[in-house]
Amino acid sequence: MPSKQDVPWYKLAIIYQAHVRTFYDSNGDGVGDFQGLDQKLDYLQELGINTIWLMPFFPSPLRDDGYDISDYYSVHSSYGTLEDFRTFLKSAHARQIRVIIEMVANHTSDQHPWFQQSRSSRENPLRDWYVWSDSDTGYPEARINFVDSELSNWAWDPISKSYYWHRFFSHQPDLNYDNPAVREEMWNVMKFWLEIGVDGFRLDAVPYLVEREGTSCENLPETHAILKELRRRLDEQFPGKMLLAEANQWPVDLRPYFADGNEFHMAFHFPLMPRMFMGVKLEDRKPITEILQQTPEIPLSCQWCLFLRNHDELTLEMLTNVERDYMNDTYAKDKEMRLNLGIRRRLAPLLDNDRRRIELMHGMLMSLPGTPSIYYGDEIGMGDNIKLGDRNGVRTPMQWSGGWNGGFSAAEAEKLYAPLVQDPVYGYPAVNVVSQKRTEHSLLNWIARIIAVRKTTNVFGGGSIEFLYPANHRILAYVRQLENETILVVNNLSNAAQAVELDLRRYKGNILIEMFGKNIFPRVGDLPYLLTLGPYQFYWFRLRRI
Amino acid sequence: MAEVKLAEESVLTDDFLRQLIDVGEVDILVGVPTHNNAKTIGPIVETIQAGILKFFPRERAAIINADGGSRDGTPKLIASAAIHDTRPNSKPYALRTFHSISTQYASSLALGTALRTIMAAAELLRAKACAVISPESTQITADWLTTLLRPIYTEEFDLVLPTYSRHRFDGILLTNLLYPMTRALYGLKIREPYALDFAFSGRLGSQFLAQNAWHDETAQAGSETQLTLAAIAGEYRICQSFLGAKEHAERHSADLVPAMRQTVGALFSSLEPNFSLWNARTGSQPIPTTGAAREFIPEPLRVNRKRLREMFSTGVAELESVFQSILSPSTLAELQRIARTEDVPFRYSAELWVKTVYEFAAAYHQSVISRDHIIQALAPLFRGRAFTFLTENINGSDADVENNIESLCLEFERTKPYLLEIWKR
Repeated sequence: MPSKQDVPWYKLAIIYQAHVRTFYDSNGDGVGDFQGLDQKLDYLQELGINTIWLMPFFPSPLRDDGYDISDYYSVHSSYGTLEDFRTFLKSAHARQIRVIIEMVANHTSDQHPWFQQSRSSRENPLRDWYVWSDSDTGYPEARINFVDSELSNWAWDPISKSYYWHRFFSHQPDLNYDNPAVREEMWNVMKFWLEIGVDGFRLDAVPYLVEREGTSCENLPETHAILKELRRRLDEQFPGKMLLAEANQWPVDLRPYFADGNEFHMAFHFPLMPRMFMGVKLEDRKPITEILQQTPEIPLSCQWCLFLRNHDELTLEMLTNVERDYMNDTYAKDKEMRLNLGIRRRLAPLLDNDRRRIELMHGMLMSLPGTPSIYYGDEIGMGDNIKLGDRNGVRTPMQWSGGWNGGFSAAEAEKLYAPLVQDPVYGYPAVNVVSQKRTEHSLLNWIARIIAVRKTTNVFGGGSIEFLYPANHRILAYVRQLENETILVVNNLSNAAQAVELDLRRYKGNILIEMFGKNIFPRVGDLPYLLTLGPYQFYWFRLRRI
Repeated sequence: MAEVKLAEESVLTDDFLRQLIDVGEVDILVGVPTHNNAKTIGPIVETIQAGILKFFPRERAAIINADGGSRDGTPKLIASAAIHDTRPNSKPYALRTFHSISTQYASSLALGTALRTIMAAAELLRAKACAVISPESTQITADWLTTLLRPIYTEEFDLVLPTYSRHRFDGILLTNLLYPMTRALYGLKIREPYALDFAFSGRLGSQFLAQNAWHDETAQAGSETQLTLAAIAGEYRICQSFLGAKEHAERHSADLVPAMRQTVGALFSSLEPNFSLWNARTGSQPIPTTGAAREFIPEPLRVNRKRLREMFSTGVAELESVFQSILSPSTLAELQRIARTEDVPFRYSAELWVKTVYEFAAAYHQSVISRDHIIQALAPLFRGRAFTFLTENINGSDADVENNIESLCLEFERTKPYLLEIWKR
């Protein structure tokens, strides 16, 4: 049983995923920047989040929104300077907000000087920093991630007249982690930012670091060895900092990323997320409970990171074909909404802008075992623009007000890095921070409230979970427990009111206190505990023996 | 939607109601009436489950078992088809929870009670399409689920009745009475008006549940037939779907009277309330049929014709006083003549058979004697007709037999004015 003293900060974190580019433009050039982000820290503090995860802000040709880095030691000029970053970080820390940044370790931009040197000749000292081959037939078992845009994981380089390996876009050559110099340099990059004061890293695309013939080139033991070495150095030199893995894998393949508590502190639970959407659409808890039943135990010091949406497509990779077809047919009827093996839509449109479902999904996000991550704009129910290519439709400017450029930027509209969402339902005149702040029961204020309620206890971040299996399959119920603190969570996944009988005999004698309104519910006795829930309603009850 | 009566006469026990609450709204419901069917039910339920998962993987579906007090573990076998998260890694895989629940009513073979229970469950669960599968349908395949349910679920039919490939001498009661008489009276060429495997829409089920005289014993016994007639009377959309080969079930001669009560009794009792419907109809129309009949080679069928003849002759002799109340003098005289004849074989002609049946129907309407006795008295005469049908077709091809059945149907249609005439006496 975990204890309260053991709960490290990242387990109690409420992560807010933001992109400097999209958040707030302080200088009127049409692109968000660090000074702008700094100015909006009060907003984030009021929202109640305590950790910011920043998407890549490094120099980059921006062919993949910054995940194609051309310099790991600096800040993209559009977003400000390194000094601006330091100032922002200091401001965040002053508000008790931690900052984790992206570590795109698997690949660089093809514009990175390392790659430019590597491709310049076969004798160049950096030649071996990337994965080169005279043929494009190696590693045939490796899947192609971006199936909509790439035909092969090999790309021909006309300069060095050979093929280079890339698991994502062809302009993102993979680094060669078999080369000790590469490993050392990437640690140097991490050290650089740690010394500046960042609190952790989200390591992008970690399963792909090492390639071996005859394998899928994912999750290889050699990759795990490299990651463990990074962790060892991190713990030694920067104790208290955190590593978060992006590994879109099945639970059984994710588990090794925690190792014995000596690899990653956290990892995204990719397979759970689409099943939460599936559960609500099917009105059936089965997809959710089944994937959590298949999720192995992780070391006490480790944590899952849960999310509803992020900057990428809603990935359907960790689904069976039947499940994927169902998700596509129900959540992305319009084929334009689909990208690779996923759905490029934001949370509110995915849920038909149904406030009850949005609340239910956040209720589960905040109460299932893990640290929740909220994608910027989802707290106000921002929409998307599927007419923008790739994943840009979910990366539009933050909608601060109903005024000029939605309050995002003073620039001419044409100068914005991307157009604001303007449709009548989700457009900035209808959906924005200012108007929601003024409305007591707005989504924004509700999200702030649920965050506040979650923060009243460490149970959600650090407690154990035990599922109840009421015969009504539309009800997802579980008990979270940390030492002597117990919380009962009951979610109605259905569009209709439901009655449910819960077997709470082991909690006999406890009274239930509903955590939002703090109202008292009847004492638990020997009989099944009968609850009725409205459509998509959920309860969080604190169990008290008084 | 009509309300289910949940007062003192409710067929829903509290436990069953609790189970229904847990199942919740469904799109597809499959009802299985049972009574000590443990020997056959396991594979049947597995096939139903497979059919649902194959053809309706995304729909909310449930199996509802209405059991007449089995003592052989039948309900448990049906419950094992459920798929839910308390059995992790259970096979087969299902996208969503699949319920398979049971309820027992008072120990009884009454299919009417079972159907009523299934219909009540279908209404409470707001099932869009509901199939009923007989616990004896061991020839069921997964395709049956789509064959029966798809026309209702996606094509807005209200009743789907089966057609089968049968041995040409299987179902003589059906081919010589039920089919031709139903067709002649109601004007629709429904080949299996008395079906044990069928499907109905939520709206037909609700209407039938509310209107049917469940307390009437005869109506209970033939509730499946009543459902067909209710669908005709209510001008619901009916179609028939081909389910494949129908294996001949061995029947003891003692089974005939109960079978006739259930089918002929239901047909006869339907005539009174539906008089305005059938009295004006002439001729008959085909109904939409889905699925193509497939070739099948039936097992040889053994029928003891000698015994049929004996039972006919004995019946005619012993029941003379009963027949005097039911039949016209000319019909009775003709029957007595052929019963006494030394001819081998004798001939119970189509014309005489149709006249006999119509006179029985009128007598049933007029309740000249106990209605149950009327049905019982028809049994030996049916055996005589069966004897003739077998004898006449013994060397005929399947097509010849079919032509003879068609001729008989036309005879029923042609003679319908006679029924109207004697009906009003």
